[in-house]
Amino acid sequence: MKCVVILTLLVPFAAKAQIALYVLNGSTATPAGAALDLGRVAAGDTLSIRLRIKNIGTSVANISRFAADGIGFTTDRPSVPFPIAPGSAQDVLLSFRATAPAVYSANVQVNSQINNISVIAVVSVVNGPSLTVFPVCTGSDGPPPAIDFGRVQSGQLRLCNFSLQNTSAQPMPIATFQVTGTAFRISSGPKAPFTIAPGDATVFVIEFTPATAGLYSGALAIETRTFALSGTAFDSPLPKPLLEFDSGPMQSAQQRRLTMRLPSAAPVTASGFVNLAFIPDTTLVTDDPAVVFLATGTRTLPFSVTLGSTQILISGQTSATFQTGTSSGRIRFTLSGISTDGDPTTTLTIPAALLSFDTTTAARRTGNLDIQLIGFDNTYAAGAMVFTFFDASGQTLQPGAILADFTQAFRTFFTKTQAGSAFQVRVSFPVTGDTSGIAGVEMKLSNSAGTTTTHLTFQ
Amino acid sequence: MKHALFLSILSCAWAQSGIDVPAIGIVADPSGSLRAVQGVAGNFLLGPPIATGVLSAACSEQLCLAKTDSRILSATGQADAPPGRAIFGFDGDRAIVFFAESRAFARWNKDRLEPLDWTVDDDVLSILTGNKGIEVALRRDWAAVTNGPVLLLREGVLFATADELVFRHRDGSEARFELTGGESITPMGPHYAAIRAGAVTFALRLDPGYEQLFLLPGSAP
Repeated sequence: MKCVVILTLLVPFAAKAQIALYVLNGSTATPAGAALDLGRVAAGDTLSIRLRIKNIGTSVANISRFAADGIGFTTDRPSVPFPIAPGSAQDVLLSFRATAPAVYSANVQVNSQINNISVIAVVSVVNGPSLTVFPVCTGSDGPPPAIDFGRVQSGQLRLCNFSLQNTSAQPMPIATFQVTGTAFRISSGPKAPFTIAPGDATVFVIEFTPATAGLYSGALAIETRTFALSGTAFDSPLPKPLLEFDSGPMQSAQQRRLTMRLPSAAPVTASGFVNLAFIPDTTLVTDDPAVVFLATGTRTLPFSVTLGSTQILISGQTSATFQTGTSSGRIRFTLSGISTDGDPTTTLTIPAALLSFDTTTAARRTGNLDIQLIGFDNTYAAGAMVFTFFDASGQTLQPGAILADFTQAFRTFFTKTQAGSAFQVRVSFPVTGDTSGIAGVEMKLSNSAGTTTTHLTFQ
Repeated sequence: MKHALFLSILSCAWAQSGIDVPAIGIVADPSGSLRAVQGVAGNFLLGPPIATGVLSAACSEQLCLAKTDSRILSATGQADAPPGRAIFGFDGDRAIVFFAESRAFARWNKDRLEPLDWTVDDDVLSILTGNKGIEVALRRDWAAVTNGPVLLLREGVLFATADELVFRHRDGSEARFELTGGESITPMGPHYAAIRAGAVTFALRLDPGYEQLFLLPGSAP
């Protein structure tokens, strides 16, 4: 009985002394051990690892069997039997693919006349995220999972928009989400780890910015799936894009439409950014934060044009709406990430204008007459006001025109808020006695563009 | 003489009570963040998120309320509430609240939620309180007009069809705006309604004679 125990212990020792099984990761070989966890793989995807059978003994090992007995497992190896000389090795490929989410296992066996090896390989099949690739890029979940960024002018930028969807009924944790490869970079999107709710999707953008003409490749790893990224860079500019606006004079507090087109067909598919900047006339503020593209509330939008087309799409749309703000000055549109025949920069002038009011109200309170004004002064020079009160017959009430100067208060407000020139202000006039005889007020409100006259009736 | 007396006081004692950026109201953006809206017509500024996870939001001249999945928030307090979206009908500094999931009514009063034993066997689209009492728009009452959102207003009613936004005034006149896919309409403030259509939020100015549809700035990802 004692001898049996000893022999049992010696068998594994003897096996290690002859043929051994390793897992290859690049050029690094790691002993396979008794169990081999292959991790997770998306349903329908193929997972492959390279194994190495090494003869570490002193005599030739004849491999009579190499098999992976389990559903979904396959091997790619020389026909058995095959010999392995002392000190030599033979690499084989172990692959797995299944379409139903579950945990799968296989008994990986290597038999020789010297010793046998048995390793249990385990792999989990999970529902993988579904990737949608939006134009101008092409590609799919595969097989093989691959994304082509197309042809891009060297030194320029191509953006590819993606939607990653969880089509399963379970939350989908994403621990791995990264891009590798020269010229490829995730420019916006979630940061791993994150979870996609059942039926939900998350969007992200990958930039492709090849420095020089040539072929580029990279990889996008999303949890269990790796997408091959590819792109080609070339040298050729687009004809100078034309930036156009909906009709009508440009003024403050407008929402206007920008369209972009090429004067002739695009020689290549290209993409870039349209940017706007605002330069106010006044020195009281340095900017007007309301001057933005409304789609995102930002000052930059991506655009793209496809080969042979003259239509430039801005964020996938035929036009982009922007606000003109409440400041006189210049709105400058520039393009970036693209090479053109000539500078397409376009500047709009927002002229200085009289004070403009959204809402004006006049109300009586006990002991007070209140006048509330909501509007904007795109010259940043408001403050001088003249109020003249009238009775019901339209007669001017004494003492006639009342001057008030809020110039300093307005300057302080504009400077402090840096939020454009929109304002609301209430001016109160303390009164004694019966105010019912006061029917209305005429206001003359001045800025550097002139004087606005407004008549209000007391409620 | 009487006029001369008080106007002589007027001429030297005027005062302005401070200058502010105009407040328009609040809106829950497509990501569920609650944001203050400031500015004037055609020039809107969205403030930073005040709260997140907001399912419904509405504002009147005196009160703004927001509904998360489990609470109602105001500028001064909050209270536990049934789950899901809510419809608000403002009455001064109070409001009638309808919880769409449970079809329960409650009254919001001084930051407290008081259950009401009202029952309804249909979807409530909008609630309007006023001198004539409480007016409720039910889905079945509007089925012949639209299957989209409806907002009762003191000036009339605002509703969205598949491709239009219609502002029907009390006198029966209408202002129509081209708008596809209106999903919800909420009172953004005393002068504006917010209309959600996909990822885009529109603002309709409600002031009589100045009705105009604008876009609200989106939120950069």
